[in-house]
Amino acid sequence: MYDFQSGGDFERDLNLDELLKGIDKSRLISALNVLLDTTVGVVDDTGASVIGDNSSKTVDRVPLHGELEPVGFLQTRTAVPSERLSAAADLMQLILRCNARYLLASDIHLQTQRDDFEELQRRNVALQASEARYKKLSESLEIRVKEQVKTIEKAHLKLYRNEKQASVGRLAAGVAHEINNPLGFIRSNVATAASYLESFYEFNALIDNGASSKDLRKVWEERELSLLLDDFKDLMKESLEGLDRIAKIVIALKGFSRIDQTETERADIDTIVRQICQVAESQWQQKAKLVLELSSETPIQCQSAQLGQVVYGLLGNAVDAIETNGIIRIRTAVRNGAVVLEVQDNGRGIPETVLPHVFEPFFTTKEVGQGTGLGLTVCHDIVKEHGGSIDIVSQIGKGTRVTVNLPVHNAIQNPKES
Amino acid sequence: MAAILDVLFIGRFFPKVMAQYDESSQKLTIKLVYYGPALSGKTTNLMRLHDILTPDMKGELMIMETADDRTLFFDLLPLGFRAPSGLLIKFKVYTVPGQVIHDSTRKAVLSRSDGVVFVADSQRTQSVNNGESFENLAANAARVGLDFQQLPLVVQFNKRDLPAILSEQEIMARWEKAPWPVLFSSALTGEGIIETFKALLAAVYLTCDRLYRLQSDHGLDCDSFIAQTLGGSLSSAKG
Ligand SMILES: Nc1nc2c(ncn2[C@@H]2O[C@H](COP(=O)(O)OP(=O)(O)OP(=O)(O)O)[C@@H](O)[C@H]2O)c(=O)[nH]1
Ligand SMILES: [Mg+2]
Repeated sequence: MYDFQSGGDFERDLNLDELLKGIDKSRLISALNVLLDTTVGVVDDTGASVIGDNSSKTVDRVPLHGELEPVGFLQTRTAVPSERLSAAADLMQLILRCNARYLLASDIHLQTQRDDFEELQRRNVALQASEARYKKLSESLEIRVKEQVKTIEKAHLKLYRNEKQASVGRLAAGVAHEINNPLGFIRSNVATAASYLESFYEFNALIDNGASSKDLRKVWEERELSLLLDDFKDLMKESLEGLDRIAKIVIALKGFSRIDQTETERADIDTIVRQICQVAESQWQQKAKLVLELSSETPIQCQSAQLGQVVYGLLGNAVDAIETNGIIRIRTAVRNGAVVLEVQDNGRGIPETVLPHVFEPFFTTKEVGQGTGLGLTVCHDIVKEHGGSIDIVSQIGKGTRVTVNLPVHNAIQNPKES
Repeated sequence: MAAILDVLFIGRFFPKVMAQYDESSQKLTIKLVYYGPALSGKTTNLMRLHDILTPDMKGELMIMETADDRTLFFDLLPLGFRAPSGLLIKFKVYTVPGQVIHDSTRKAVLSRSDGVVFVADSQRTQSVNNGESFENLAANAARVGLDFQQLPLVVQFNKRDLPAILSEQEIMARWEKAPWPVLFSSALTGEGIIETFKALLAAVYLTCDRLYRLQSDHGLDCDSFIAQTLGGSLSSAKG
């Protein structure tokens, strides 16, 4: 059975003791004594004394009804007229009934309160259980999010590396063009020079055959051998210059292609800019004039290949911004203890809404397939690794200026790539 | 969720024992409950029963109401008679408070009941209230561990004296498929009150007889069970 503890089940049959709860028994019995003019006692349905004096023998007795059955008896020491006795019993029953109403009400009130409380506790327990479940779920969610982030970072890193690789690839294509040019004219120079040699071999044969100096002079002039000789000299000179140029490109390329470089070296930005311009000339040739104003002349401790990539990237963006007849200015200087590199173009400019996002990874305004959107991000990261800063100002239709500040005295900070 | 918990927890504390049989005092207590929406006439039903019934033992009608006649906790009418065997058959007939807010009390009063009269209000405007209250009865029965399918239940459509009520045909059409007897009444005049009570007693007798062998052990058949509960003049079955 359900245990209703103290308050009790409102349905239970109340006994006389309970029905008299809270009633002043001595006042009740003395009132009854006076009303009936005798000694009155009340016993319960088992005969046990409840109020008054029930010790000695009683004469009259009348039942007190509870809900339905008698809960006790009213008894007197001496005889009392029956109508008075039942009137007294009635009076008492009225009192008991009043009390019963109160007891029932308080019992059911207690019971519903207790049930509601238990219900609340059960809901609380259920709530706590579900809360614990959610907590666990959110923890595992956190782990999964971390894993996702790791995966994304890995993919990001891969793209980042790819972008660097791709820039080297683009550069290589440019370099091939740069080298092809001198190679072409060196080849034609050497071929021409070789054809000149025929004339000199023939002349030499005349000498061997003992031709007179008069004849020799005649042939020399007829064949314009003096002119050939001068031309030969020019061809060689030009070829040597071409070879020097190829050598320079190869040196620049060697330095520039070290994208996995981790060690730092002393290098000056002016040299880096020159090298890059040397190998990348074909990129702007058709549509822009390049103006170099290089006056930094201060070597800094840096990863020169990485900085070369910055210059190459900024130059590439400047070229891309220009349709035709452009001017690209690259300036270097030392200002406030920092080497400043400026790349300025008079191209189409960057819209205001786009400008705040240009350093964000994967942000690109180029057509799909043209770029990964990592160009400026890579530049930004490299500059940051050098403890520097990069700023961009732009005006639609007027052009863009990117300014890179690199501190002269600043040890390089934890290189990202390794 | 909460409802499922209720059944799981409370169901265990309230075993489905029909009626309270007290061997030592030879007493079988049967609990009957008048359930239904607010103001449908539950208390009025009980008042009429108190007026009309004349069993051997009839307690006083205990009415617990607020100032505006709404039942606060419950009303209670105790009735009783003795079977030929000497067994005291005692009825405690309760009404629940119909107002929606008193659901905890309704649940407590309903618990361990042996039979239910669902008092519906026949007025057309009350259809929704009737439906909600009936659903509440089924839900609370489940919460207190009563098997609603097995519970002796009678449906009473009250206030037949009023205009703008659902016709008997409409009501019967709606309740056609339900397994419970449907009766019509006007508690104000007392019409149909005894018929409703008799229908419930007949259903309750079946379960009590099955459990306590009223017929074989106590010499009490269904007719005299009903007749003695109603009392003398009311029943032709008596005597
Ligand atoms: N016309 C008419 N009025 C009735 C009938 N039965 C009850 N009433 C009236 O309806 C009102 C409410 O009756 P109650 O018996 O108090 O209703 P209840 O179901 O006990 O209401 P709650 O205790 O609030 O749940 C009272 O004014 C009754 O007189 C009926 O058959 N016909
Ligand atoms: Mg009522």
